Amino acid sequence: MTFTSWQFGAFVAIVFGVYYLPPLRSLQVQLLVVASLFFYGYGQPGLLPLLAVAVLGTYLFLILALRNRALWLPIGISFNLALLAFFKYKFLFIGPASSGAAGLAPIDFLLQLPLPIGISFFVFHNISLLVDLTGKRKETPDLKSVFLYIIFFPQLVSGPITRAEMFMPQIHPKYFGDIPFVEAAKWILTGFFFKLYVANNLNEMTSYMDFPLYETLRTQDRWLLVFLYSYQIYADFFGYSAIAIGLALLFGYRLPINFNLPYISVSFSEFWTRWHISLSSWLRTYLYIPLGGNRHRAFRTYLNLMIVMGLGGLWHGAGLGYLLWGLLHGVLLVIERPFLARLATIDSAAFRRARMGFVFVCVTMLWIFFKLPNFDHAISYLSGMFTSSTNPNPPKLFYNLALLYSLPVLIQHLVPRSRFEQTLGGAEPYLYGLMAALMYLEAGPETSFIYFQF
Amino acid sequence: MQPTPAVHWFAKCGFSAGVLLLASGVATAWFGNGLQLPSTTTRDGTLITLNRYVREPVPDVVLVGSSLAFRLKEEYFATPRLRNLALAGGSPVTGLEIVADRPHLPKIILVETNVLSRSTDASLVAKYSSAENARPLFFRPIRTAVAAYENRLHAPLNHAQVSSALHQLLERPPSDFDNRIYVDRALEQWNAEDPTAAVHMNVSKIAHLISEIERKGSHVLLFELPCSAQLEGSRSAKITREIVHTAFPHPGQWLHIEYAREELRWADGVHLDERSAVTVAQSIDKALSSPPASP
Repeated sequence: MTFTSWQFGAFVAIVFGVYYLPPLRSLQVQLLVVASLFFYGYGQPGLLPLLAVAVLGTYLFLILALRNRALWLPIGISFNLALLAFFKYKFLFIGPASSGAAGLAPIDFLLQLPLPIGISFFVFHNISLLVDLTGKRKETPDLKSVFLYIIFFPQLVSGPITRAEMFMPQIHPKYFGDIPFVEAAKWILTGFFFKLYVANNLNEMTSYMDFPLYETLRTQDRWLLVFLYSYQIYADFFGYSAIAIGLALLFGYRLPINFNLPYISVSFSEFWTRWHISLSSWLRTYLYIPLGGNRHRAFRTYLNLMIVMGLGGLWHGAGLGYLLWGLLHGVLLVIERPFLARLATIDSAAFRRARMGFVFVCVTMLWIFFKLPNFDHAISYLSGMFTSSTNPNPPKLFYNLALLYSLPVLIQHLVPRSRFEQTLGGAEPYLYGLMAALMYLEAGPETSFIYFQF
Repeated sequence: MQPTPAVHWFAKCGFSAGVLLLASGVATAWFGNGLQLPSTTTRDGTLITLNRYVREPVPDVVLVGSSLAFRLKEEYFATPRLRNLALAGGSPVTGLEIVADRPHLPKIILVETNVLSRSTDASLVAKYSSAENARPLFFRPIRTAVAAYENRLHAPLNHAQVSSALHQLLERPPSDFDNRIYVDRALEQWNAEDPTAAVHMNVSKIAHLISEIERKGSHVLLFELPCSAQLEGSRSAKITREIVHTAFPHPGQWLHIEYAREELRWADGVHLDERSAVTVAQSIDKALSSPPASP
């Protein structure tokens, strides 16, 4: 059940309608848990037991770790990482064809299970739960709260990755009168607009980046499509996160902001404080800092950065392309680190814009490894950007459509928010209305959210 | 400043959304969907062609086929009132079924039989088969604006407008584009697949549709487009050819097109390049104007 389907709309309407009924107020958490299980099981009912095992297992390790953290916390984390490794990375070690060859029915059954949607996200929630709650020696939360934190449907599939210490205190009775309707509507409308109008329409064009279609492209169109993909992946993931935040607000929960205009970053380290913020802060809190962060000598800091970015890349998928994408971001972070302080002292708007452009171009080029996880295809696409095309029959791309579909991302990034709000004045609700109509009228063909695959 | 009460906010939001929807609805009712929207994918191109087919008067000749016949652009043909409904990435049976289900049929329907391993696109057939034109309630404002702009700058050309350019194209020598890498890849794919079951099913569907169409008074002719020698010798091509010719053995069921094969080139071993597509289109023109073989 995707966020853009009518089934999801009906599902949310029903759950919302029941959620605030006064007689059911004491059952709100249970209702959200059941609704989230239904949401998850709607597409993959066979994987519900796995979700239950992940949550119940984590809950068991949480209880044990609250008694003896030194012993049970590492075991609990290993349990979750093993789940992730088994489902996400098993095909690095065994071929898909041999997934029924173990000879033992239970193992063959497990090997044949598809990749559970959202496993990368709920495993990170589980680890956050174990670390946060045992670190501060809190009381054992009840099972239903743990379930809700891990499987709350707006964030279950693609985040934002919410830290347990941020979410758990929000679990208390909710009242209809407290709903910030306008704020929720703004998030939801913005999210759907970016997904349906921007991402889905750009996806039609960037589908030419797939193998072997990209071989027919002209050189300048290869360049154009990389930039369009950069806008698309932002619009797609920002759109998803915005919808998740808005939906959560309807049910009385505030999820963390996941994007903050990432393409205006003037450094790569700033980019990672603006892009998929919940993942980068998770990696910083639970990986970079425990590894030593920047508390040791420069070489160790660089090594830590490379480890974190490499694993961050692999978190997205078991492929050389994802690993390389992460490592290349790590290299860029390492290279810029010694110069950051000096660069910050240069007070020039032009220089700042040049840095912004440089970071954006580098980040955009690296998205090629995301779009084409097959390493050979990515390299082939990249090399074609620097050689002239000889194909006699290239596809025609409409540059004016590309611009019009990218415009919301460009405006959002290039027009300062304060000036935008000042210009808009009291017309803001009308703008959201136009966005709502436009996302219906001009919606691109249905495609799943890019981050669903992770 | 006091925050706008939620009810007022939603009222304004709903009002502007309603105005834009209403404007689009009125404009659609007023102007219709006559503007040809730009296609950003081959699927888009397919919809545009089919939209035009169901909207405009029934042509005399219709081509249905796969991406091979898709390359034969309508302006390449001198035959008047000819429409190409070949579907890039699709099956010839989809186009044939849509044409057969329409209330009025063209005089001649040409069916390309090179690729018969794909299944029919049931959603396209359902959408375009009914007598009513599947006209949406609202047009897409952005695409319509771009379409108006593009049509103004690059209006679709007819054969008379492009004939001198086509003549110049044919004057040039055939392309020397090195397509080996693409031919090898296509050959590997065509040798790997066994289309027997799918071709049998599609051939029996075609036979059924032909008898239905001919009962309504139209004539159906099958034709094969040339591919590179390597691809014509592939497993898939051989199986398809054998099944089709066994099912339709009579020469009168076929359109015989003649061309200088040494003049033809393929961008990828399968699809004709532009110059070759023009050559083959002219051969089809000639074949259509010559008297049919006696049954």
